[in-house]
Amino acid sequence: MRHALRWLSLIFAFSACTPPIPSVDDTGNDLKQVSLVPITYIDWTDKLKSFKGKIVVVDFWATWCSPCLERFPKMIGFHQSYRSRGVQFVSMCLDDPSDLEAVGTAREFLRNNRATFHNYLINEDALEAFDKFDLLGIPAVFIYDRSGILQFRLTGDDPRDQFTEADVERAIEGLLDR
Amino acid sequence: MRSETFTILTGVGIVILLFTGQPLLAGEYNRVMSVGDPLPRFGTFPATDNTVLSLNEVSEDVLVLAFLANHCPWVRGAEADLIKLADAMKARSVRVVGVSVNHRKEDRLPAMKEHASEFGYNFTYVFDESQDLGRKLGASRTPVFFVFDSARRLVYTGLLHNSPGQMRRNGSVHYTKGDPTEFYVKDAIEAALDGMAAPVPETRAHGCNIEYVR
Repeated sequence: MRHALRWLSLIFAFSACTPPIPSVDDTGNDLKQVSLVPITYIDWTDKLKSFKGKIVVVDFWATWCSPCLERFPKMIGFHQSYRSRGVQFVSMCLDDPSDLEAVGTAREFLRNNRATFHNYLINEDALEAFDKFDLLGIPAVFIYDRSGILQFRLTGDDPRDQFTEADVERAIEGLLDR
Repeated sequence: MRSETFTILTGVGIVILLFTGQPLLAGEYNRVMSVGDPLPRFGTFPATDNTVLSLNEVSEDVLVLAFLANHCPWVRGAEADLIKLADAMKARSVRVVGVSVNHRKEDRLPAMKEHASEFGYNFTYVFDESQDLGRKLGASRTPVFFVFDSARRLVYTGLLHNSPGQMRRNGSVHYTKGDPTEFYVKDAIEAALDGMAAPVPETRAHGCNIEYVR
């Protein structure tokens, strides 16, 4: 009993030191709505069509990709800056869908980063996913125009032509001006 | 006869190009190097065994370059198979060289030394701090493999085998397509040692982007 009480007091002390996760983000979006939805490549192509009329920015990431995690907060910033201007942000997670620990970590990451946009988990194995999206590595950002046509494919495929967040911003601004 | 064969093959190539929009030649997954290209000239690279390697002076008939990154789970999922391959080739005239290009602390030389020692790397592991090697070879992600023949022409680039492994958080390796059945790098090495073309000259390697300094 004394042992159990000691554990309970430890848990209480720990929870008192840990700031509670807020239930809404800065602009009132319900963080409980932050979800990671499994999707096949085919279903994604249909989903993309449903965004017609909006500029769509797709950020490819995975919990195993350190630069992706480091860059992600910039995407959140872009989402907050551009969402009222007809820009839809989407995160596309390339973690192994059969690795439940990785999927759980991905969900937690999205929630901690308050990613209140569309978050998908590609429900295919890595070889298929990289092949279908014509990707070699991540991070990568694809930007579609209002007609759903891929206009910018920002990748690290060419060592001589690496992209930064400034390129993402420039691409979005360019499409907004059209 | 040879001229007729050449004409027919060229025609077939043009038809494939017209219908698929894809080039028949390799280089599809590498923006810089194509199969058949020569190994560029390089300076020297420091290795984890405290030696310095001059790639252009490697004397073995076949040179294998493996672009690695300690932090990348796709590398961690490939390294045991790479060690096995290097071991299987140790009696042959084959030199396997691992290359780390990233500037992340966990991918730099001190960490590389610890990693190579901890995981029993049985091949030379060099640090490409200038990123010159990675850039000139068009290595954009890890792991990706390059096999050069005795004339130092690229004969293969891409995956180690047809079922890339990914190391999970619990340390287990998950093979994407089950047990590997096609061993592209091994087959390319053996073909090169026999003076033949690699049966598969290029595959799509995927993984962790190499972070090049802009």
